[in-house]
Amino acid sequence: MKHTKQTTGKRNALGRNQVRSGMVFILPSLILCAIFMLYPLFEVIRYSFTDWDGIAKEYDYVGLHNYLNIFKIDGFKDMMIATVTFAIGTTILTVFIAFITALALDKRGKGRINRGLMRSLWFLPALLSGVVVGILWRVMYNYNNGVINKIITGLGGEAVNWLETRVVTNIAVIVGATWVQIGFCVIVFMAGLQSISQELYEAAALDGAKPRQQLWHITFPMMASSITINVITTTIAGFKAYELPYNISQGLPGKSTMLMTQRIFFFGFQDYDYGLGSALSVMLLIIIALISLIQLVYLRRREDIY
Amino acid sequence: MKARKKLRTIIEELILAVCTIIMMVPIYYLVIGAFKQRTDIVKFPLTLNAQIFTLENFPYVIKKMKYWKALGNTVFITLMALLIVIICASLAGFAIARIRSRIFSGYYKLLVTLMVIPFIGCLLPLTTLSSKLGLYDSIWGCILIQAAWNMPFSVFLYAGFMGGLPRELEEAAYIDGCSTFGVYSRIFLPLLAPVTATCCIRQGVGIWNDYLVSRTLLNENKNPTLMVGINGFFGARGSELGYAFTGIVLVSIPMVILFLFLQKYFIKGIAAGAVKG
Repeated sequence: MKHTKQTTGKRNALGRNQVRSGMVFILPSLILCAIFMLYPLFEVIRYSFTDWDGIAKEYDYVGLHNYLNIFKIDGFKDMMIATVTFAIGTTILTVFIAFITALALDKRGKGRINRGLMRSLWFLPALLSGVVVGILWRVMYNYNNGVINKIITGLGGEAVNWLETRVVTNIAVIVGATWVQIGFCVIVFMAGLQSISQELYEAAALDGAKPRQQLWHITFPMMASSITINVITTTIAGFKAYELPYNISQGLPGKSTMLMTQRIFFFGFQDYDYGLGSALSVMLLIIIALISLIQLVYLRRREDIY
Repeated sequence: MKARKKLRTIIEELILAVCTIIMMVPIYYLVIGAFKQRTDIVKFPLTLNAQIFTLENFPYVIKKMKYWKALGNTVFITLMALLIVIICASLAGFAIARIRSRIFSGYYKLLVTLMVIPFIGCLLPLTTLSSKLGLYDSIWGCILIQAAWNMPFSVFLYAGFMGGLPRELEEAAYIDGCSTFGVYSRIFLPLLAPVTATCCIRQGVGIWNDYLVSRTLLNENKNPTLMVGINGFFGARGSELGYAFTGIVLVSIPMVILFLFLQKYFIKGIAAGAVKG
């Protein structure tokens, strides 16, 4: 398209006007985010280099002292194991179960249970808060009175000490968290499945592809982006989780199942070691940022292959 | 062949039904538990009959948890934060999606980066900041923090939605001399209902279910919210299962009712929000 000089000039003026208005438009959100997100972010980074206890008026800059001390936190290894197993465990379990469920719910037709109802039921737990789910599962895991042990003994099994040993407790917490996350992932997977063109399956069937081959060669590759989204959101949610796992296990036994988020809270509000808590916060932030990056790059690349 | 297919369907549905029932056990256990006393929950965990049915838990929990006050606070925080988010995010989304400038694409990148920050990491300086600003133990402090932390993803949703609308929409209006704000408010705003629904549902559930912000910024007794209330309530009366279950039902039921009425939008909203993500 050709423009005379005049209209181009007019266009530029119009564009400048728009940009000026646009700057006013982004101002409210920018101010809010700057005050309540960016400023605290800079502060947490600054505090991570100090020995502030959270109360005193004065504090000193101590360089990398806090960062080096992270590795000397009592139970550092347990914390990292608990945090990583929690995030990865919930992700694998959630995405796996949600994918199979979505495949099942995607099958429609005569003689099948109402799909709208099933979808709502599977989504229901996702509406509950972390606090509530934590309390609920804690009660269910109770050794003497919990419903899980009641069912197990009722079926002739032996009651399990769900919240007594580190490994079992870590698993118990993962199961509780998975229960909440599944619904969300099922919805995302179902939307993905519905967007796959039916013609692809018809063509494959004509070429003699068996259902299993269709699943492997059509469904999986076409679902790559949905899988990406679910894996990323669930992993990040796992690293950010606080009240749900805390309410189930309270970090017991000892502090061995305490996650990073929970230790951060305790350093800040109970142990009055704001500096160390801040350093741990920065570390968590870096971990989450790295994971989102790695996952995005790796999973996007996988998508391209197909 | 047909009979085999039918059998297959039946087996598939049977497995699905069993899995669904297992998924629903906690909810079933919880809901019937709200109508039983502690001893009956322990003795008959999965049954409810007329003999053990009781409504006694409800008045006790409502009173001790300051339920109505907590409910009012939570509703107010959620609605106000959403209102702020909708206004600010739709404006910013408009600038990012419809006005070509490096400033706005840069701003967009900044917001996407901010989405990664874990809230718990900034909790400590946020408390100090709020007391400096005089927002400590104020509902409005809570609202502003919720609005800010839900902003990046909301802008992301709005920008994505508006970016998908056809270019011709505003061209005629600009040529007719309409102001940029006029284009936003008269042409785009009426089209934003679907993305606003998505945004409200995605962020609304999160704000409603929030624990950390209100726990650290609000005085539990003066300004209770539902999730802080139920947490404290359970902490103090952990062994009183009947009360705990009733409390959980009471704090969760408003969201569940909303979901049952707006199911279609919930499902659509989650799916749309995620696909764009």
